[in-house]
Amino acid sequence: MIIALERYWADYGCVLMQPYHTELAAGTMNPNTFLRCLGPKPWSVAYVEPVIRPLDGRYGENPFRFQHYFQYQVVLKPAPENVLDLYWASLDALGIDLRRHDMRLVEDDWEQPTLGAWGLGWEVWCDGMEITQWTYFQQLGGFDVELVPAEMTYGLERLAMFLQGKRTAFELEWAPGVTWGDVYLEAEREWSRYNFEEAPVEVLTGRFDEYEAECRHLLESGLPIPAYDQVLKCSHTFNLLDARGAISVTERAAYIGRVRKLARGVAGAYLGTQEEDAVAAA
Amino acid sequence: MPSLLLEIGTEELPAAACREAEAQLPELARAHIGPAPSQLFVGPRRLALLIDDLPERTADEWVKGPPENLRDQAAAGFAKKHDVAVDELELRDGFLGVTVPGRELREVLPEQIDRIVRGFSFTKSMRWDESGIRFARPVRWVLAKLDAETIVGETSFGHRFTRGAVEIPTAAAYANVLRSADVEPVADERRRLIVEGLDAIGGWSDPGGKLAEVVHLVEKPIVLESRFDERFLQLPERVIVTTMQSHQRYFPIEGNRFALVANGGEPNVVAAGHTQVLEARLEDASFTFERDVAAGIDALADRLAAITFFAGAGSFAEKAERVAKLVERLGGGDASLEAARLAKADQASELVREFPELEGYIGAEYARLAGYPDAVTKAIEEQYLPDASRGPLPQTEPGKVLAAADKLDTLRVAFELGHKPSGSRDPYGLRRAAIGLVRLALEGGLTIDRELLPEELREFVEERLESLLDVPVEYVRAARASNAPDLGGVARRAEELYRERESPEFEGVYTAYDRAHRLAGKAQEEAAPQLDRGLLVEDAEKELAETLAKVAIDGNGDIKAALESGAELAPVMERFFDEVLVMAEDEAVRANRLRLLLDVRDTLGALGDFSQIPR
Repeated sequence: MIIALERYWADYGCVLMQPYHTELAAGTMNPNTFLRCLGPKPWSVAYVEPVIRPLDGRYGENPFRFQHYFQYQVVLKPAPENVLDLYWASLDALGIDLRRHDMRLVEDDWEQPTLGAWGLGWEVWCDGMEITQWTYFQQLGGFDVELVPAEMTYGLERLAMFLQGKRTAFELEWAPGVTWGDVYLEAEREWSRYNFEEAPVEVLTGRFDEYEAECRHLLESGLPIPAYDQVLKCSHTFNLLDARGAISVTERAAYIGRVRKLARGVAGAYLGTQEEDAVAAA
Repeated sequence: MPSLLLEIGTEELPAAACREAEAQLPELARAHIGPAPSQLFVGPRRLALLIDDLPERTADEWVKGPPENLRDQAAAGFAKKHDVAVDELELRDGFLGVTVPGRELREVLPEQIDRIVRGFSFTKSMRWDESGIRFARPVRWVLAKLDAETIVGETSFGHRFTRGAVEIPTAAAYANVLRSADVEPVADERRRLIVEGLDAIGGWSDPGGKLAEVVHLVEKPIVLESRFDERFLQLPERVIVTTMQSHQRYFPIEGNRFALVANGGEPNVVAAGHTQVLEARLEDASFTFERDVAAGIDALADRLAAITFFAGAGSFAEKAERVAKLVERLGGGDASLEAARLAKADQASELVREFPELEGYIGAEYARLAGYPDAVTKAIEEQYLPDASRGPLPQTEPGKVLAAADKLDTLRVAFELGHKPSGSRDPYGLRRAAIGLVRLALEGGLTIDRELLPEELREFVEERLESLLDVPVEYVRAARASNAPDLGGVARRAEELYRERESPEFEGVYTAYDRAHRLAGKAQEEAAPQLDRGLLVEDAEKELAETLAKVAIDGNGDIKAALESGAELAPVMERFFDEVLVMAEDEAVRANRLRLLLDVRDTLGALGDFSQIPR
């Protein structure tokens, strides 16, 4: 399935990338989406992203909730006029017969307050199952996008369940004789324990402050790309603290505000270097 | 004269955007083209309109210029601006002007249409390309036909997956051609088809009001029926209904049956797919439900200490304790006290995290499963009522008491922390809570002591009475200053004052109050702190003091008796003002007389602040 998507989007002309090297709660946070969607340069990219959401873990007991799963992320910047047709054709490439099924685009507006980002779009329904989140970005890091990108985030487990006719992700066939459960069930159990019970609150609280300070320092040094990694680490640390129940409602808003401020700073600095590049090129 | 079809083709619009567009289309057509449309077509992928009998030319337009008497100063400039010679200017009603001739329809339509496309205003809109147009979703084509002639664009498009481009031969044929391309362009017709399909299945319901949205989720409605596995019927009914309606936009039928509206596909494949999705969601909910039930409501209540209710106001456990105390103050019995202890337990449940709109209901279900009596479970279920300004009240006494205590606590805490709503900002829903509290007193018959409301909050809550009571606001304001001890008493007092406003007793009390207030109200500082009977000299003032001492006004008693008692002051006051000079030379006598008048005012003021009531 991943190979089919890779082939389809490579043929279209996307840069194929590999997953990012630090924990992300969504493929959108990968700098190949977040940073590259800022500024005036066109960019088309596709990649698999393992997403880590500590709060969603269920000790491997709930067959529909995991703290680790996969997205396939495609970004076309700017969105071509036939972008929806391109998307439908990608489903066709996966072997979904669009005429046999009830395909629907259901309003779903996307907002990520920690990144100061929002867009309008849909959930794509296939016979009522949400298989993709579809967004036209409008703002990232608090800045209006210059070229409006289309983001397509395929839910790989859901799509696989649909294609394989399985009722739970655990039963998915990963390779002949090997299921998704064989590969990930034990990890789900252990990570859930870590996320909910063992993650060291004081250490993490300290780390959050360190990453924040490091981010500020890197921004002062004019290094927005490494600074962005610190934003990602802050965000993940915040998610872990949240799963540990260590964040009260008031603190929550304050933490989100801190991450948003960093993301805004990175976006501004990144746009600055983009402009310098443009001036240098001219 | 020809008919015009204008079709704006879009990517899938949200239902709310369809409704906004539907409301704006006629006015946009009138503003930019002229005639009102004879028909509208509104749906997720197209907004279209038909205008019959459009004149071939736009009307000539008279442009008024300067008045004739300014011909010398202003005519040349005006003429130049309109590209005519000064002697070509026409004179009408004392003004110079030009007639701008109408234009050929085919020439102006493209601009007019562009203005329509750009003229929509959506609550949520977006950009998608360099055109700068903002719309709810991208516009992908525009087609305009004048009868058989294409003015803008090329073709329309049929159903997204079964048809491609569709030639529209003439404007008038639009709807029928689309129908043969698997698209029903008329929203009302889609609604009719959906309802017809649902009625054919029978027994459907739509408690969440999803039909209006579903009409704009499909272009070719296909109504299908299916069933989910019966084992999910163990879930609380509203959990099942919410899963079907909020998440999937299905229509529940009895038991495990439901109906869904698809936009195409093979019916058996589509129904099976939707059923599997619903079952997966119900499976997820069951998983959560079983874990909560295994823990039990008492264990959930024990977890509340770890959950913050409100920043600065402690945990839900602390809230539960405060609410229990208020329940006692409100005279609640054992059932409402037990309910208060368990009321917030579902905040610790996993199911409420998934279905926040079912808070209260889920707690009640868990209490029922744990064997608590109906009086307790009902109260838990009803604690958030009324949840809309005209919504229903709790039906049971314990429910009313718990609902009032819960709202009182939220209001008290929010005000204490300085979260008084300002303007339209009311993130904690305090207005709704205050209205609910007042209605529980007025319609629910609860006695809610005004003492329970600190001053600023009392103002805020009692202001709600002004809009809830069918009495002019002056009487409500007067009654708010009375000594009525509880919210219901204030309301009754306002109504009574209004009812009695023409009676002689009211007249007497009003006059006595008014005269005392006018003379002494502004001299408060000069008045003696207390009446000194030894300083009373004249008979008339002695009589006034004696009569006043006999006046009895009970804050909660019979208004007639109170008014009668108060009205006895009227003739005595009359005599007092005839015979006594309040502003006496002697400072002590004067201060004492002012005090006497203030006492008259304040005694009568127990009935209300009569100065609020205009005469």
